[in-house]
Amino acid sequence: MDPAAATALIQTIAQGLLTGGLYALIGTGLSLIFGVMRVINFAHGDFLAIGMFITLALFRAFNLDPYFSVLVAAPVGFALGYVIQRVILARLGDRLAEGSMLATLGLGLIISNTLLLTFGAQPQNINVAYATKTVQLGGVQLSIPLIVAGIGTLAAIGGLNFLLYRTELGRAIRATAQNPLGAELQGVKTATIQAIVFGLGVAFAAIAGVLLMPLLYAFPTVGENYTTKAFIVTVLGGLGNLPGAVVGGLVLGTIESLGAFYISNNYRDAYGLVAFLLVLLLRPEGLFGRTVKRV
Amino acid sequence: MTATTTAPAARPRALTFGNMWLSAALIAVIVLYPMFFGKAMNFGVSTLIFAGLAMSWNILGGWAGQTSLGHAALLGIGAYTMTLLAIPERVPAIFGGPVAPWWGALIAMVLAALIAAVWGGLTFRLRGSYFTLSSIAVALVIRLIAINSEWTGGSEGLFMPDLPRFLGLDLFDRKAEYILAAAFVVLTLGITHAIRRSRLGYALQAVREDEDGARALGIDPTRMKVIAFMISAALTALGGALYGIYLQAFEPHTLLELPISVQIALMAIIGGRGTIQGPAIGAILLAVFGEIFRNVFANANLLIYGVLILVVTLFAPNGVMGLFQRGGRKLGTAR
Repeated sequence: MDPAAATALIQTIAQGLLTGGLYALIGTGLSLIFGVMRVINFAHGDFLAIGMFITLALFRAFNLDPYFSVLVAAPVGFALGYVIQRVILARLGDRLAEGSMLATLGLGLIISNTLLLTFGAQPQNINVAYATKTVQLGGVQLSIPLIVAGIGTLAAIGGLNFLLYRTELGRAIRATAQNPLGAELQGVKTATIQAIVFGLGVAFAAIAGVLLMPLLYAFPTVGENYTTKAFIVTVLGGLGNLPGAVVGGLVLGTIESLGAFYISNNYRDAYGLVAFLLVLLLRPEGLFGRTVKRV
Repeated sequence: MTATTTAPAARPRALTFGNMWLSAALIAVIVLYPMFFGKAMNFGVSTLIFAGLAMSWNILGGWAGQTSLGHAALLGIGAYTMTLLAIPERVPAIFGGPVAPWWGALIAMVLAALIAAVWGGLTFRLRGSYFTLSSIAVALVIRLIAINSEWTGGSEGLFMPDLPRFLGLDLFDRKAEYILAAAFVVLTLGITHAIRRSRLGYALQAVREDEDGARALGIDPTRMKVIAFMISAALTALGGALYGIYLQAFEPHTLLELPISVQIALMAIIGGRGTIQGPAIGAILLAVFGEIFRNVFANANLLIYGVLILVVTLFAPNGVMGLFQRGGRKLGTAR
């Protein structure tokens, strides 16, 4: 392989890994929700869209640097998720499995159409000086917003791990995921825990939206694509498997990047989908999951 | 969480009374509509097509209990196949010239059924949410192919050529389209009635209620689901061919996007999945609401879908038909 081709390969992989980090962040939120509640959140990408539009609105109103919006978007996302779990999903009771799918589908439609009414259908972006800047690392060019997104993802996932494995709340969350009834009997307020978990998942999606805003155009249905990405990531990693979601995200980013560069950019979204279908068919427990009972 | 301690929820069940009468009423409405709303034929045709599509979805989604969010792909297969075979410049050489739309629609139905057989054969080994997720993925792959291939017209889509007359009907005349769309609804209604009282129907309901139990009775769940999917797919493709004629020109966005799949599924669910007329009632309800709110919300008209599905999920889990049924029970007919 001549040096130019080698550099191109490294460049492609590096870009894929950074994009994959963002996918990992989105997928982690979805996987966390599924892991604790067995709920597949069909509105996940729409929560990401909310994060994007909060960033856009704050920038328009106060000229706030997009990354500072995370201080607003994350709490708003958390509160939104908390309330949705409490007011809607908790009421489904024993119809949760089927009902949550429909309820989150409905929520997604409500969110995307409300955004459409508020902000219009026109794709909008933020003009900040660093949006198009790149850094040179040994012949490989990397965009600054992608690097910031990568760091943000690491921080968010690191924070989640600390929360889950080093705090009392984390113990309660893990207990609820493993055995809700048992946890309840040990004095864990599982209803509150589930609301917190849904809030966290939505906050993760919103944070991802903030990190994406300097890179992308925001439009009301932007979330649809990311809901699919989140599904792909979680299935690749194994539904409800958090480290799996991180690896799944990186794998998806790399597959897309390599496919787009070496095969055809038109089918960028298809490579992940095909990988998703293959994993779904051959290893429903995910690439890295323990073997679950096969049907 | 109380979920693990309570008894399993009551599943949607077919109405225990008035089934035939409700179908007859539905057909009467279809027959009377053009006499009173002759000016609003566009609305009539599209509503009927979606009513038929929702009932087709219901054969898989309601009777077999498999929630597909990929039916837009089958709708697209119907419209694209019929149209591509009718355009002289695009029809594959082996056909030796353009194919009349009714033969095109028939070929589309067979094609859709074959695709469903493979698609279902592979994915029905998975249970629950996995099938739903895979249906989205399959549909998205088909959408990407349509957008990026030259022979499908890419993202610009296709224009319908002049079509030959069908039994003397001009296919681009809204009245003719209304008659065909009505025939489509009656056909799906008839097939649903037939399935309900057939071995297949009972087997499907058994699989839906308790897959392991059904297996123990000697029913092959995967096979039953695949058969339901094939019927559902063929009918959806037929609806797609009709919808293509109705649109006259279409592109991937109007036929193959996820919201179209969601729309079809929601119509059936809001009306009452697993019932006979529920999906049609849901389609009519949503079409009317959509029309009313189109003026208020402009292109954000799916907002009302979101609100309705949330309300139905929370307060009427068995759809509009479920409400009827509950009303019926209150009159003294205990379950």
